Amino acid sequence: MNTEESRRADLATRLRGLLGGLDAKAGFEARLMQRVATLAVTPHADLRAQFERRRERLRRRLRREAWMNGITILGLGACAVALLWRFAPDIQQIAANPARPLDLNLLVFGTLATVAAGVWLLIRRARG
Amino acid sequence: MSVDDAITQLIQTGRTEEAFERLVPAYRRRVFGLAYSVLRDRGAAEDVAQEVFVKLWQALPRYDGRAQLSTWIYAITRNTAISAVRRRRRLVSMSDPAVFEEVASRGAVSGAMADEAALWRCVEALPDRQRQAVILYYQEDRPVEEIAAMMGLPVNTVKTHLHRARANLALALGGAGEEVA
Repeated sequence: MNTEESRRADLATRLRGLLGGLDAKAGFEARLMQRVATLAVTPHADLRAQFERRRERLRRRLRREAWMNGITILGLGACAVALLWRFAPDIQQIAANPARPLDLNLLVFGTLATVAAGVWLLIRRARG
Repeated sequence: MSVDDAITQLIQTGRTEEAFERLVPAYRRRVFGLAYSVLRDRGAAEDVAQEVFVKLWQALPRYDGRAQLSTWIYAITRNTAISAVRRRRRLVSMSDPAVFEEVASRGAVSGAMADEAALWRCVEALPDRQRQAVILYYQEDRPVEEIAAMMGLPVNTVKTHLHRARANLALALGGAGEEVA
Protein backbone atom coordinates (compact mmCIF):
# COMPACT_ATOMS: atom_id res chain seq x y z
CA MET A 1 0.00 0.00 0.00
CA ASN A 2 1.56 3.33 -0.98
CA THR A 3 1.47 6.47 1.16
CA GLU A 4 -1.47 8.00 -0.61
CA GLU A 5 -3.56 4.87 -0.27
CA SER A 6 -2.68 4.50 3.37
CA ARG A 7 -3.61 8.15 4.04
CA ARG A 8 -6.87 7.60 2.22
CA ALA A 9 -7.59 4.50 4.27
CA ASP A 10 -6.63 6.33 7.47
CA LEU A 11 -8.99 9.20 6.66
CA ALA A 12 -11.81 6.75 5.90
CA THR A 13 -11.20 4.93 9.19
CA ARG A 14 -11.19 8.18 11.14
CA LEU A 15 -14.40 9.35 9.45
CA ARG A 16 -16.07 6.01 10.18
CA GLY A 17 -14.97 6.26 13.80
CA LEU A 18 -16.26 9.82 14.02
CA LEU A 19 -19.56 9.48 12.19
CA GLY A 20 -20.31 5.79 12.67
CA GLY A 21 -21.92 6.33 16.04
CA LEU A 22 -24.15 9.17 14.88
CA ASP A 23 -27.60 8.35 16.16
CA ALA A 24 -30.45 9.84 18.14
CA LYS A 25 -30.19 9.77 21.95
CA ALA A 26 -31.25 6.66 23.82
CA GLY A 27 -34.98 6.58 24.44
CA PHE A 28 -35.81 8.28 21.15
CA GLU A 29 -38.38 5.68 20.21
CA ALA A 30 -40.00 5.67 23.64
CA ARG A 31 -40.34 9.47 23.52
CA LEU A 32 -41.75 9.29 20.03
CA MET A 33 -44.30 6.61 20.92
CA GLN A 34 -45.36 8.68 23.93
CA ARG A 35 -45.87 11.70 21.68
CA VAL A 36 -47.79 9.69 19.13
CA ALA A 37 -49.95 8.16 21.87
CA THR A 38 -50.84 11.66 23.12
CA LEU A 39 -51.86 12.63 19.60
CA ALA A 40 -53.82 9.43 19.19
CA VAL A 41 -55.96 10.04 22.28
CA THR A 42 -56.66 13.70 21.54
CA PRO A 43 -60.35 13.64 20.63
CA HIS A 44 -61.25 14.71 17.14
CA ALA A 45 -63.38 17.59 18.46
CA ASP A 46 -60.41 18.95 20.41
CA LEU A 47 -58.19 18.86 17.35
CA ARG A 48 -60.89 20.64 15.35
CA ALA A 49 -61.23 23.32 18.06
CA GLN A 50 -57.44 23.74 18.18
CA PHE A 51 -57.35 24.13 14.41
CA GLU A 52 -60.19 26.68 14.45
CA ARG A 53 -58.52 28.71 17.22
CA ARG A 54 -55.24 28.72 15.32
CA ARG A 55 -56.99 29.75 12.09
CA GLU A 56 -58.84 32.56 13.85
CA ARG A 57 -55.58 33.86 15.40
CA LEU A 58 -53.92 33.78 12.00
CA ARG A 59 -56.87 35.58 10.40
CA ARG A 60 -56.74 38.35 13.05
CA ARG A 61 -52.98 38.72 12.65
CA LEU A 62 -53.23 38.99 8.86
CA ARG A 63 -56.07 41.56 9.15
CA ARG A 64 -54.01 43.64 11.60
CA GLU A 65 -50.97 43.48 9.32
CA ALA A 66 -53.07 44.49 6.31
CA TRP A 67 -54.37 47.53 8.23
CA MET A 68 -50.88 48.52 9.33
CA ASN A 69 -49.54 48.18 5.80
CA GLY A 70 -52.45 50.24 4.44
CA ILE A 71 -51.92 53.01 6.99
CA THR A 72 -48.18 53.06 6.35
CA ILE A 73 -48.63 53.23 2.59
CA LEU A 74 -51.20 56.02 2.98
CA GLY A 75 -48.84 57.92 5.29
CA LEU A 76 -45.88 57.57 2.97
CA GLY A 77 -48.04 58.47 -0.03
CA ALA A 78 -49.36 61.60 1.75
CA CYS A 79 -45.79 62.61 2.63
CA ALA A 80 -44.70 62.12 -0.99
CA VAL A 81 -47.62 64.20 -2.29
CA ALA A 82 -46.94 66.93 0.29
CA LEU A 83 -43.27 66.99 -0.69
CA LEU A 84 -44.10 67.23 -4.38
CA TRP A 85 -46.65 70.00 -3.63
CA ARG A 86 -44.25 71.94 -1.43
CA PHE A 87 -41.29 71.68 -3.77
CA ALA A 88 -43.07 71.67 -7.12
CA PRO A 89 -41.40 74.89 -8.36
CA ASP A 90 -37.95 73.65 -7.31
CA ILE A 91 -38.51 70.27 -8.96
CA GLN A 92 -39.59 72.01 -12.16
CA GLN A 93 -36.44 74.13 -12.08
CA ILE A 94 -34.27 71.06 -11.43
CA ALA A 95 -35.92 69.26 -14.33
CA ALA A 96 -35.30 72.28 -16.55
CA ASN A 97 -31.72 72.74 -15.37
CA PRO A 98 -30.22 69.58 -13.77
CA ALA A 99 -26.86 71.29 -13.22
CA ARG A 100 -28.41 73.75 -10.75
CA PRO A 101 -27.44 73.10 -7.06
CA LEU A 102 -30.21 71.44 -5.02
CA ASP A 103 -32.26 73.37 -2.47
CA LEU A 104 -31.20 72.32 1.07
CA ASN A 105 -34.77 71.76 2.32
CA LEU A 106 -35.60 69.62 -0.69
CA LEU A 107 -32.45 67.61 -0.16
CA VAL A 108 -33.22 67.04 3.57
CA PHE A 109 -36.89 66.12 3.03
CA GLY A 110 -36.11 63.95 0.04
CA THR A 111 -33.43 62.05 1.95
CA LEU A 112 -35.70 61.59 4.98
CA ALA A 113 -38.53 60.28 2.79
CA THR A 114 -36.21 57.84 1.03
CA VAL A 115 -34.77 56.62 4.35
CA ALA A 116 -38.28 56.20 5.83
CA ALA A 117 -39.43 54.19 2.79
CA GLY A 118 -36.27 52.07 2.95
CA VAL A 119 -36.65 51.37 6.69
CA TRP A 120 -40.28 50.42 6.17
CA LEU A 121 -39.32 47.99 3.42
CA LEU A 122 -36.54 46.49 5.56
CA ILE A 123 -38.89 46.04 8.54
CA ARG A 124 -41.44 44.33 6.30
CA ARG A 125 -38.78 42.04 4.89
CA ALA A 126 -37.46 41.12 8.33
CA ARG A 127 -40.98 40.27 9.52
CA GLY A 128 -41.87 38.36 6.37
CA MET B 1 -39.24 -9.36 1.08
CA SER B 2 -37.47 -6.14 2.05
CA VAL B 3 -38.42 -4.15 5.16
CA ASP B 4 -39.87 -1.41 2.94
CA ASP B 5 -42.05 -3.93 1.10
CA ALA B 6 -43.26 -5.39 4.37
CA ILE B 7 -44.10 -1.92 5.73
CA THR B 8 -45.88 -0.96 2.49
CA GLN B 9 -47.91 -4.16 2.62
CA LEU B 10 -48.92 -3.45 6.22
CA ILE B 11 -50.03 0.06 5.26
CA GLN B 12 -52.01 -1.21 2.30
CA THR B 13 -53.82 -3.69 4.49
CA GLY B 14 -54.73 -0.92 6.94
CA ARG B 15 -52.36 -2.03 9.69
CA THR B 16 -50.72 1.38 9.95
CA GLU B 17 -49.84 1.14 13.65
CA GLU B 18 -47.92 -2.04 13.05
CA ALA B 19 -46.31 -0.48 9.99
CA PHE B 20 -45.26 2.53 12.04
CA GLU B 21 -43.74 0.33 14.74
CA ARG B 22 -41.58 -1.34 12.09
CA LEU B 23 -40.80 1.89 10.27
CA VAL B 24 -39.34 3.78 13.24
CA PRO B 25 -36.41 1.47 14.03
CA ALA B 26 -35.78 0.89 10.31
CA TYR B 27 -35.51 4.60 9.53
CA ARG B 28 -34.44 6.20 12.83
CA ARG B 29 -30.73 6.45 12.01
CA ARG B 30 -31.29 7.51 8.41
CA VAL B 31 -33.79 10.21 9.33
CA PHE B 32 -31.60 11.43 12.18
CA GLY B 33 -28.47 11.34 9.99
CA LEU B 34 -30.14 13.26 7.19
CA ALA B 35 -31.52 15.85 9.61
CA TYR B 36 -28.14 16.18 11.32
CA SER B 37 -26.32 16.57 8.01
CA VAL B 38 -28.56 19.55 7.21
CA LEU B 39 -28.77 21.11 10.67
CA ARG B 40 -25.34 20.32 12.18
CA ASP B 41 -26.89 20.29 15.63
CA ARG B 42 -27.80 17.11 17.50
CA GLY B 43 -30.63 18.56 19.58
CA ALA B 44 -32.23 20.19 16.57
CA ALA B 45 -31.72 17.05 14.46
CA GLU B 46 -33.45 14.99 17.12
CA ASP B 47 -36.36 17.43 17.24
CA VAL B 48 -36.64 17.27 13.46
CA ALA B 49 -36.49 13.47 13.50
CA GLN B 50 -39.33 13.40 16.05
CA GLU B 51 -41.32 15.86 13.94
CA VAL B 52 -40.74 13.75 10.82
CA PHE B 53 -41.97 10.57 12.49
CA VAL B 54 -45.04 12.35 13.86
CA LYS B 55 -45.78 13.59 10.34
CA LEU B 56 -45.28 10.07 9.02
CA TRP B 57 -47.59 8.68 11.65
CA GLN B 58 -50.26 11.16 10.61
CA ALA B 59 -49.70 10.64 6.88
CA LEU B 60 -49.18 6.88 6.83
CA PRO B 61 -52.85 6.01 6.20
CA ARG B 62 -52.72 8.24 3.11
CA TYR B 63 -49.52 6.67 1.69
CA ASP B 64 -50.56 5.19 -1.65
CA GLY B 65 -47.31 3.48 -2.63
CA ARG B 66 -46.85 5.49 -5.82
CA ALA B 67 -43.48 6.81 -4.65
CA GLN B 68 -40.99 4.48 -2.98
CA LEU B 69 -41.40 4.49 0.80
CA SER B 70 -37.79 5.61 1.35
CA THR B 71 -38.06 8.41 -1.25
CA TRP B 72 -41.21 9.67 0.45
CA ILE B 73 -39.63 9.59 3.92
CA TYR B 74 -36.42 11.30 2.73
CA ALA B 75 -38.41 14.07 1.04
CA ILE B 76 -40.39 14.70 4.24
CA THR B 77 -37.13 14.70 6.25
CA ARG B 78 -35.36 17.09 3.88
CA ASN B 79 -38.29 19.52 3.84
CA THR B 80 -38.71 19.41 7.61
CA ALA B 81 -34.97 19.94 8.16
CA ILE B 82 -34.85 22.84 5.70
CA SER B 83 -37.87 24.44 7.42
CA ALA B 84 -36.08 24.03 10.75
CA VAL B 85 -32.99 25.74 9.33
CA ARG B 86 -35.15 28.61 8.15
CA ARG B 87 -36.76 28.86 11.57
CA ARG B 88 -33.43 28.90 13.29
CA ARG B 89 -32.00 31.39 10.79
CA ARG B 90 -28.55 30.34 11.78
CA LEU B 91 -26.51 27.19 11.74
CA VAL B 92 -24.94 26.00 14.93
CA SER B 93 -21.39 24.96 14.35
CA MET B 94 -18.87 22.99 16.35
CA SER B 95 -19.90 24.97 19.40
CA ASP B 96 -22.66 22.37 19.70
CA PRO B 97 -21.90 21.08 23.22
CA ALA B 98 -23.37 17.66 22.45
CA VAL B 99 -20.55 17.02 19.98
CA PHE B 100 -17.93 17.65 22.63
CA GLU B 101 -19.89 15.60 25.12
CA GLU B 102 -19.89 12.67 22.77
CA VAL B 103 -16.20 13.00 22.01
CA ALA B 104 -15.48 13.15 25.73
CA SER B 105 -17.78 10.24 26.51
CA ARG B 106 -15.84 7.93 24.24
CA GLY B 107 -13.08 8.03 26.82
CA ALA B 108 -10.34 8.66 24.31
CA VAL B 109 -6.98 10.00 25.41
CA SER B 110 -6.60 13.75 25.15
CA GLY B 111 -4.47 13.63 21.97
CA ALA B 112 -6.95 11.45 20.15
CA MET B 113 -9.78 13.66 21.36
CA ALA B 114 -8.05 16.69 19.92
CA ASP B 115 -7.62 14.83 16.61
CA GLU B 116 -11.28 13.92 16.62
CA ALA B 117 -12.35 17.47 17.41
CA ALA B 118 -10.10 18.74 14.60
CA LEU B 119 -11.69 16.28 12.19
CA TRP B 120 -15.16 17.41 13.32
CA ARG B 121 -14.22 20.99 12.65
CA CYS B 122 -12.97 20.07 9.17
CA VAL B 123 -16.18 18.18 8.39
CA GLU B 124 -18.20 21.12 9.73
CA ALA B 125 -16.27 23.54 7.55
CA LEU B 126 -17.04 21.66 4.32
CA PRO B 127 -19.56 23.21 1.90
CA ASP B 128 -23.14 22.08 2.67
CA ARG B 129 -23.52 19.38 0.00
CA GLN B 130 -20.06 17.92 0.62
CA ARG B 131 -20.67 17.81 4.37
CA GLN B 132 -24.03 16.12 3.89
CA ALA B 133 -22.56 13.51 1.54
CA VAL B 134 -19.69 12.72 3.94
CA ILE B 135 -21.92 12.44 7.01
CA LEU B 136 -24.45 10.20 5.26
CA TYR B 137 -21.74 8.03 3.68
CA TYR B 138 -19.65 7.39 6.77
CA GLN B 139 -22.54 7.20 9.23
CA GLU B 140 -23.42 3.71 8.04
CA ASP B 141 -21.25 2.95 4.98
CA ARG B 142 -24.27 3.51 2.80
CA PRO B 143 -24.16 2.95 -0.94
CA VAL B 144 -23.85 6.16 -2.96
CA GLU B 145 -27.20 5.38 -4.63
CA GLU B 146 -28.97 5.55 -1.29
CA ILE B 147 -27.23 8.79 -0.34
CA ALA B 148 -28.34 10.22 -3.68
CA ALA B 149 -31.93 9.25 -2.83
CA MET B 150 -31.58 10.78 0.64
CA MET B 151 -30.18 14.05 -0.69
CA GLY B 152 -32.47 14.15 -3.71
CA LEU B 153 -29.50 14.44 -6.09
CA PRO B 154 -28.18 12.38 -9.04
CA VAL B 155 -25.72 9.63 -8.13
CA ASN B 156 -22.83 11.18 -10.07
CA THR B 157 -23.32 14.51 -8.33
CA VAL B 158 -23.08 12.78 -4.97
CA LYS B 159 -19.92 10.98 -6.10
CA THR B 160 -18.41 14.32 -7.06
CA HIS B 161 -19.35 15.85 -3.70
CA LEU B 162 -17.82 12.91 -1.87
CA HIS B 163 -14.63 13.08 -3.94
CA ARG B 164 -14.26 16.81 -3.33
CA ALA B 165 -15.08 16.44 0.34
CA ARG B 166 -12.35 13.82 0.81
CA ALA B 167 -9.86 15.99 -1.07
CA ASN B 168 -10.77 19.01 1.04
CA LEU B 169 -10.52 17.01 4.25
CA ALA B 170 -7.13 15.65 3.26
CA LEU B 171 -5.94 19.17 2.53
CA ALA B 172 -7.38 20.57 5.73
CA LEU B 173 -5.85 17.80 7.81
CA GLY B 174 -2.39 18.61 6.62
CA GLY B 175 -1.82 16.77 3.38
CA ALA B 176 -1.57 20.00 1.40
CA GLY B 177 -1.52 19.41 -2.31
CA GLU B 178 -2.66 15.82 -1.89
CA GLU B 179 -5.95 14.69 -3.34
CA VAL B 180 -7.78 11.73 -1.98
CA ALA B 181 -10.17 10.02 -4.40
